[in-house]
Amino acid sequence: MSAATLCDMNSPMNAAARAVDVWKVYGSGEAQVIALRGVSLEVERGKYTAIMGPSGSGKSTLMHCLAGLDSVTRGQVAVGDTVVTGLSDSGLTKLRREKVGFVFQQFNLLPTLTAEENILLPLAIAGRKADPDWLKTVIDTVGLGDRLKHRPSELSGGQQQRVACARALVSRPEVIFADEPTGNLDSRSGADILGFLRRSVSEFGQTIVMVTHDANAASYADRVIFLADGRIVDEITAPTAEAVLDKIKSLDVMAGADNDQG
Amino acid sequence: MIKASLRGLLHRKLRLTLAVVAIVLSVGFLAGSIVLGDTLNARFSGLFRTVNENVAVQVQPNDDRGETPPMLTDADLANLKVDGVDKVVGDVSANGVIPFRSDTGKAVTAQATLAMGVGPEGDQLGLVEKRRGEWPVSSGDVAISANTAKLAKVGLNDEIKIFIPRLGETRTYRVSAIVGFAGGRDSLAGETLILFQLDHAQQLFYNKSGVYAGASFSAKEGVSQADLKKRIEAKLPKGFKATTGQEATEEASNAAADQFGVFTIILSAFAGIAAFVGIFLIYNTFNIIVAQRSRELALLRAMGASWGQVIGAVLLEALIVGGVGATLGLAAGIGVGVGAEAWLSNALEIQLPSGGVVVSPWAVLWSYVVGVIVTVIAAFIPAIKASMVPPVAAMREVVRPDKSLLVLSIIGAAFVVPGAALLFWALTGIGALTALVLGGGVLLIFIGVALLSPLLAKPVVRLVGALIGRGQAGKLGVRNALRNPRRTAVTAAALMIGVTLISLAATVAQSFKTSITEILGGDFGVEVMIQAPPTAPPTGEAGFNPQALEKVKQLPGVTDVAAWHITIDSSLEGQPAFLAATDVAVAQKMWKLETISGELRTLGAQELVVDHKMAEAAKWKVGDKLDVGIGRTQKQYTLVGIYKASPTVQGPILGMPAVDDFAGKLAYQGFVSLEDNADVAATVTKVEEIMKDYPGVTVGDMSAYVKQTGQVFDFLVNAITVLLGVALVIALLGIINTLLLSIVERTRELGLVRAIGLSRGGVVRMIGVESVLIAVFGCLLGVALGIGLAAAAVKALIDLEIMTTFALPWVNLVTYVGVALIFGVIAALWPARRAAKLNVLDAIAYE
Repeated sequence: MSAATLCDMNSPMNAAARAVDVWKVYGSGEAQVIALRGVSLEVERGKYTAIMGPSGSGKSTLMHCLAGLDSVTRGQVAVGDTVVTGLSDSGLTKLRREKVGFVFQQFNLLPTLTAEENILLPLAIAGRKADPDWLKTVIDTVGLGDRLKHRPSELSGGQQQRVACARALVSRPEVIFADEPTGNLDSRSGADILGFLRRSVSEFGQTIVMVTHDANAASYADRVIFLADGRIVDEITAPTAEAVLDKIKSLDVMAGADNDQG
Repeated sequence: MIKASLRGLLHRKLRLTLAVVAIVLSVGFLAGSIVLGDTLNARFSGLFRTVNENVAVQVQPNDDRGETPPMLTDADLANLKVDGVDKVVGDVSANGVIPFRSDTGKAVTAQATLAMGVGPEGDQLGLVEKRRGEWPVSSGDVAISANTAKLAKVGLNDEIKIFIPRLGETRTYRVSAIVGFAGGRDSLAGETLILFQLDHAQQLFYNKSGVYAGASFSAKEGVSQADLKKRIEAKLPKGFKATTGQEATEEASNAAADQFGVFTIILSAFAGIAAFVGIFLIYNTFNIIVAQRSRELALLRAMGASWGQVIGAVLLEALIVGGVGATLGLAAGIGVGVGAEAWLSNALEIQLPSGGVVVSPWAVLWSYVVGVIVTVIAAFIPAIKASMVPPVAAMREVVRPDKSLLVLSIIGAAFVVPGAALLFWALTGIGALTALVLGGGVLLIFIGVALLSPLLAKPVVRLVGALIGRGQAGKLGVRNALRNPRRTAVTAAALMIGVTLISLAATVAQSFKTSITEILGGDFGVEVMIQAPPTAPPTGEAGFNPQALEKVKQLPGVTDVAAWHITIDSSLEGQPAFLAATDVAVAQKMWKLETISGELRTLGAQELVVDHKMAEAAKWKVGDKLDVGIGRTQKQYTLVGIYKASPTVQGPILGMPAVDDFAGKLAYQGFVSLEDNADVAATVTKVEEIMKDYPGVTVGDMSAYVKQTGQVFDFLVNAITVLLGVALVIALLGIINTLLLSIVERTRELGLVRAIGLSRGGVVRMIGVESVLIAVFGCLLGVALGIGLAAAAVKALIDLEIMTTFALPWVNLVTYVGVALIFGVIAALWPARRAAKLNVLDAIAYE
């Protein structure tokens, strides 16, 4: 890595998150699996970025590395002006409190807390007070007004995921990372969530990175990054579902050709 | 099916480890107690075998109690020297003959004190061997064992002061010989041994020459013990019986075994409490494992396993866990038992060769019975639950809503109510079954309160949580403690049991101490108290000569003195009774006894007074003739007065002439009244000087006595606390176990809270708060229950006029809660570390 890139990493920048020449290798010797092979990526601030790719392409790994949930083998990752690579556990904790939010496929709400308490949990953990106007806006946007006192077990999957989205939004993080947020939902609930994420980008300027394998989901994004075999192979901006599907098909053909050669 | 469950067992071995440890601890404690008892026994059997090695037949009175047991004469001995007898040795012996140290002038303290008469040829049966000097031939000489010489710091030809209990005085002798035992031992078991010239010993012990308490016979070559016994029996005088040496050894060993038996039973009771606590831990383990495995079990059900097979699979696991725990526990118990025996023998200076490690079949049987039964009982309800998992649970997440605690609470109440009833029954009527009824009542209350405790968990945990659950991490910890009240409650209940028993003991002890202070601090005319050694049995063979009180009475400022004699080998109207004898007129003045009827005056021979409760219960009135048995004597006493019972004085009291019938003539206690302006401290010093020749007798003002009694109670409470240590450790393991299993269950949640910004320290705090809440909840339950049980016990004792006040040991109780807090922190250490080290990503992805 050049000195210039290092300098870039440490200076304030437009990108909400960035990866520079990121490698991720699991295991060693015979069992070695290379999940990422020198991925460089800038996530634009205030944009909705989708990461797509077939199973095993490294899309989830890339997101985990960007979010500081996983360490990189080589290369560097930054969120906002914070260099994630090499942060201590307390540094990572601070990062999670201040800069990132998560939405998971499995919702991951705490069963002991009500919907409202779940939404406020990141702020409570960080010891911060919620901005009441913002909280109201978020709750109105996700449409949970009458369900705030319910426990997760009393909510449908779609409702739970809306709580999870509100939880990610409420602390106004630099980036929200969404890992297959509609993977566990029926298509209608999924569409609600995607629409809601889209609005938070368009109306509130929130930055979102979403991993998905669903072309329809990706079509809500401003930009779609395609990964295959640990590398970024393509990207399209302002995608439609059809364009994404076509791109996937052509990538599958390429992958097939690769396999034939290999 | 069996294969599947065994495979499952291996997968969960870590989770079952703590359950196994709990079984190992409780079984180890139990097996250790039994092995300790048996091994000590073997050592003492060896002692009695040594003592009776050359004894073929022993002749003893049928009943040797009381003042005048039948005696053998020289003529009897000659007559009994039948064909086949090699040597005859008449038994002239006494207990409580105590030597004084030459350097400090204080009485020697030893495990036992033996004194015998010996002829000019020494011990004919070859047990005692002369080392230096000559056997005593004059009344001024004694032979002493090397151990006695060492303890009393005297050598050959030195003077030695010896206390003679029958005379109630101390005499000085010359040491004419130092003796030892076969095998070069200085003593058999750390005892002192003094041999007097035979005729002198007869005078000293029996006040009569030429008489013997019994006799030992050795056999000529080729004559069997049984044969010789038959021949001797044919010539026995009336009132005597013959036993073979072997039978005598067995009898003595059995008597010793009974004493160790009590010791073993006490230890085993505490081991039983530990096992009972273990049930809670094991129950929780299986319960959580079954909950975590419900998918797997449902899959088995979906594939056609019957509910019986599912129950069988869980119980099989329990059986294996119990078996493994019992085996390891037995091994640990043998180690602990042998170690404890060696330590005890060393501490007690028992110079006996070891009888070898004894692991009786009982030790093995009990280990497996307790280990396996405890586990299977504990796993039974989880097994039933497992069988009720619907097959559909394999396909989807079955949401199990919080079940109502109503049914559980009703069942709990169904245990508590009869338990409390048994308890009150046991506390009001004292009978043969009292201990059993009491224990059963307490056990039922424990189970009932454990079942009710989930109901209490919510409010108590919330309240305590509000105090310690600071910060978001703390709040999450409080929520976690509350989310499964049953689990929290069962885990806490294990701790509750130990804390209840400790609080009970501490509260009863505190009430006793306060009562004694109140009673003795009352407006009585007693300033100085003289007390026989509290370790000696109240048989009148230890204590002081009542005549010494005459000297005390001459001291300046002394207005009154009273000696109290007591005997436990006695009966009143055929019922065993503890009798006291004193000058009732003086006692009436000193203790301000209130006359109910008749008169409280100095009693003559065959006169007694009783307290009003006894009189009312038995419908006795003044003038009645009552049968009084003391030792072997039976006499009719006239009831001359009835006094009002008080915690200080109660029960039947005889006059001083009755002491003639007591086995020992020494007074057990003495009380001294002083003039108002007398110098108490100076008087105590002077009385001590008068009493210095009476071994172990202590003199003090009343406050010193109160303090001394308080120390005895403190010691008892401490001993109980130590013995409950294993139960407390198992409870601690239970908390660790629950937390570890909960962490596994909540892996994804832990990942999430980390992902949204909770630091490692936060995770540690969260789990620490949960742990402390469980521990403090258990402790509070225990303290509350302990106080409740103590209140019931104290009330019963107050009704019996044994106590006056119920008092709470605040310092102890607060300490227990503090220790529980520390317990909670300790229990959280390992689970919290594990939780904090979880990889965030792995945790979130955890299925």
